[in-house]
Amino acid sequence: MTFLRSRAGLIPDFPSPVEGAEVGEVVTEEAGLVPPASQPLQVTLLVREGDLVARGAAVACLRHTPDLCLVAPIAGRVARIALLPGRRLSEIVLFRDDDGGAERHPTGAAASVGSLRRLMQTAGVWPLIRRRPFGGMPHASEAPAAIFVMGADTRPQAIDPQEALDGREEAFARGLSALGLLTDGPVFAVWPEAGRGIERPTAGTDLRVIPCGPRHPQGSAGIRIHQAFPAGLDTPVWDIHAEDVADLGDLLDTGELPATRLVRIAGAGLREGARLRTHPGADLRQLTQRIALPGPHVLMSGSHLDGRAAHWLGPRDRQVTVLPRQAPEPRPHWLIAALTASAGAKPAIPTSALSQSLGAALPAAPFIRALGAGDDEAAMSLGVLSLLEDDIALADFALGAGGEIKDQLRAILDRIETEYAP
Amino acid sequence: MTRGLWTRETVALLTLAALLPLAVFWLWLGGVEALFRLALILLVIAIWHLIFMLARAQPPSLSALVTALAIAMLAPEGLGTFQLILGISFGVVMGELVFGGWGRNVVNPATVALAFLGFGFPAAPWPVFDVPLAWAAIPAGVLGLALGVMPGALMAAAVVLGAAASLAGMVDDAVLHAAGIALVLLVVDPVTSAATTLGRWLQGAGYGGLVILFATGWGGAAPAQMAVAAALLASLAAPLFDDIALSFWVYRRRRRHGRT
Repeated sequence: MTFLRSRAGLIPDFPSPVEGAEVGEVVTEEAGLVPPASQPLQVTLLVREGDLVARGAAVACLRHTPDLCLVAPIAGRVARIALLPGRRLSEIVLFRDDDGGAERHPTGAAASVGSLRRLMQTAGVWPLIRRRPFGGMPHASEAPAAIFVMGADTRPQAIDPQEALDGREEAFARGLSALGLLTDGPVFAVWPEAGRGIERPTAGTDLRVIPCGPRHPQGSAGIRIHQAFPAGLDTPVWDIHAEDVADLGDLLDTGELPATRLVRIAGAGLREGARLRTHPGADLRQLTQRIALPGPHVLMSGSHLDGRAAHWLGPRDRQVTVLPRQAPEPRPHWLIAALTASAGAKPAIPTSALSQSLGAALPAAPFIRALGAGDDEAAMSLGVLSLLEDDIALADFALGAGGEIKDQLRAILDRIETEYAP
Repeated sequence: MTRGLWTRETVALLTLAALLPLAVFWLWLGGVEALFRLALILLVIAIWHLIFMLARAQPPSLSALVTALAIAMLAPEGLGTFQLILGISFGVVMGELVFGGWGRNVVNPATVALAFLGFGFPAAPWPVFDVPLAWAAIPAGVLGLALGVMPGALMAAAVVLGAAASLAGMVDDAVLHAAGIALVLLVVDPVTSAATTLGRWLQGAGYGGLVILFATGWGGAAPAQMAVAAALLASLAAPLFDDIALSFWVYRRRRRHGRT
């Protein structure tokens, strides 16, 4: 059965040019601070336009949870603050100015859970954590039932987290020990089968390693959570990238959160691919301007499957996808459109491809049908609370649904949150 | 936005591709008469698809080709054109189109049409399949399995049961041949067969068990009639098998994790 599980999934192939061997470090001239996807944040601003801020300094905090801060990804001057109605954050744009310096935090916070939480919330680690059910960053006082550390990423052309951990084993182990303090439950490490051995944290952390094969969605957090420790309405489960755990380890040691992360730029709209170290909120136009093919193209933060057209690198993203912009499809004849367009959502036919696109982890056809029918209870019994849009992105892609299934999942999650969540 | 290939029409085309060995052998053995029969059935189905497209804005599907092939191969012989049109219309409209088209139907339209023709015109003789045609069902099944459009568990359960019954001498070769052809044409339809692994095992076993039951206890019935009746009953029971499988799956997860 282990053999079968390690072969579950698909390897979707997307064209992308060869990438250079060089791994440069880029701090873009502009950077944007945006809220996590699918989570509107009501904020209280701590800076004004024109202020000089240090890298890692708090620029806004949540309106109802003032301890939880959003921090500047680069040192610079606040250029523009855009808020939506209800003081919801749209974006905060910074112009780079190295005179701002870097914010340092007191070390030794790992001594107690309270001080560790406070440090993580003020230093900008909290938005790097994603919770399930429903997604977004966790509430400030939330205690997870389990934490998943994602040491493998199977999305097409994803950067290997193991590469990002090269030479940072000690920091990773320190971060892992700190994470262990946040939960009474286990800490799961999703680790590649062919990867290096995992650095064990100090005693006291219930660490369980989940081997992960090369096929997608084996390295998808939601699928792993669904299999190993399903999230429930009163049992939230967090997931965090392994490189962010190492960053947490460095923060605890030095008092400074590392500025950059390893990012891959890929896609058919490039002359050559690239791997570089850059910061969250990086300006995607600057990152790609020298390597993009001439002509119109779309910049996406994230992979081919789950990426969103964006201006800035997302808070948790480690991939930039550049695709040639397709000319809009010609409108069909009005009679053809009238006869075929009102048929509603297209039915999903149960095939092996559908089953494998969900990692053979759950009954795929009943699950997709429950999503299509908007059947909240059936979807909950099949494990929808552990899943987010990213986890079913491959199924959405494989079925050619064009984002329809992701929208259905989000609608169900929003409804469950309104009707059932405590 | 890039999109994958596994849409409804891709699955219909791949199912058709898998059934090609069977179709080619049948047309080769049946000649022009078989070709005309297939064309007539296809025409009737196409007209109904067109009517539902105009009346209900339901896009037509290439699965009509698979349905036409199944009806053409398994329908009783010697029926008049009107009788054939009546049976096909009933099967395609009540079995598929009123539910919203292929992908939303609960029973295979070809199975419904064949059952209607069989029960409505009992005097018409059922077709008898030659050995080479029955053998052509094997590559069809293997292709469907390899392309991922036919459920493996269902096929495995039915084949294992059929082989065991054959070894035990419970069914004769003619029934086995008809059951094999009905299996790839009707029972393993990805839409109307069970959608869970356990459900598929149960449905395959159910189909095989019904064929054995009919072969041993239904005196005077033709092999194709037994296969079609077994396919219809197994197909009607598929949602029940799925429900059992899902309840079991949820129960196991509750026991293991305390929640789903």
